[in-house]
Amino acid sequence: MSEMLLSFAQWIQLTDFFTYLRGSAYVYPVILSLHMVAIAFFGGMILMTDLRMLGWAMTGRPVSWVLDGLRIPKRYGFLLIATCGVLMAGCKAEEYYYNAFFRAKLALLVLVVVHAAIFRASVYNRAAEFDLAGQVPGRAKLAAALSLILWIGIACMGRGIGYIEPPFGIHAQLWPF
Amino acid sequence: MPIDNPINAFELAFPIVQCIHVAGFALSAGTVAIVDFRLLGLILPQRTPAQLLRETALWTLSGVILMIVTGLLLFSSDPDMYLLNFSFDLKMILLALAIAFNYTIHRRAVQSSPSPVTGKFVACASLALWISVLFGGIFIGFSPQVLGFKA
Repeated sequence: MSEMLLSFAQWIQLTDFFTYLRGSAYVYPVILSLHMVAIAFFGGMILMTDLRMLGWAMTGRPVSWVLDGLRIPKRYGFLLIATCGVLMAGCKAEEYYYNAFFRAKLALLVLVVVHAAIFRASVYNRAAEFDLAGQVPGRAKLAAALSLILWIGIACMGRGIGYIEPPFGIHAQLWPF
Repeated sequence: MPIDNPINAFELAFPIVQCIHVAGFALSAGTVAIVDFRLLGLILPQRTPAQLLRETALWTLSGVILMIVTGLLLFSSDPDMYLLNFSFDLKMILLALAIAFNYTIHRRAVQSSPSPVTGKFVACASLALWISVLFGGIFIGFSPQVLGFKA
């Protein structure tokens, strides 16, 4: 399984497309910049949603209003972040295969899916009920706190990726620098 | 007598401060973007931009302070490199413009319930400024000074 992943990583980074991306002086940093812009804009929305559920921000507004109002834009944002992320990962797929931060980031992203599966029905689709009841239940606050931890963790793991030196020898034929 | 900068003394200090820097601009640019997207009519139609601005202003300010403090720490790791870095210099000018714009024209326009055209124009200008600041930050790392090219 892991050998299959590794040879897939080696194959994909040597496709013409990713070879071009990797060597380009401007396209790669532009993709990285778009990744950061989307993190700033849509990460900000995630922060505001979670902080609203915890009762720390936008407390004058109904929970359902913040949750439902930001749901769709957050999805577009995630699509943009993920697209840029896949493009960048493809450029250095083999190096990322060995990168502990990249692995941790993927693991946390899986946990995001688990988080959604656990809390979607009981929290995220029932925000209107919290407003009627006049308080946010502990379960929803737990969901918000876990979401904050997961997303901040994902951003930090992403930042860490660049700080691990690739194993000796895999890189020489790739970088023009 | 030289004093060790703690940012350079620990291997993990720089990336950790960078993470907080990212959180700072997610809060600041992120909350500004919420108001701007509302001005553009893209999100949260139930509330006016002015109401949204009121509710996010404190978080925007917190984010700005957080990113400036962490930014100064990052800068202190290698001031000469940053000052000679064209992307960094440009970023600082754009950042000053973005903050000035945000607390003058942007704020006044949002609070005075602008016409849709004015609102959209201000939102686009604001988004363009913050986006260019973020691009500036990334391009610092892709500059000749950092990559070790001879100019």
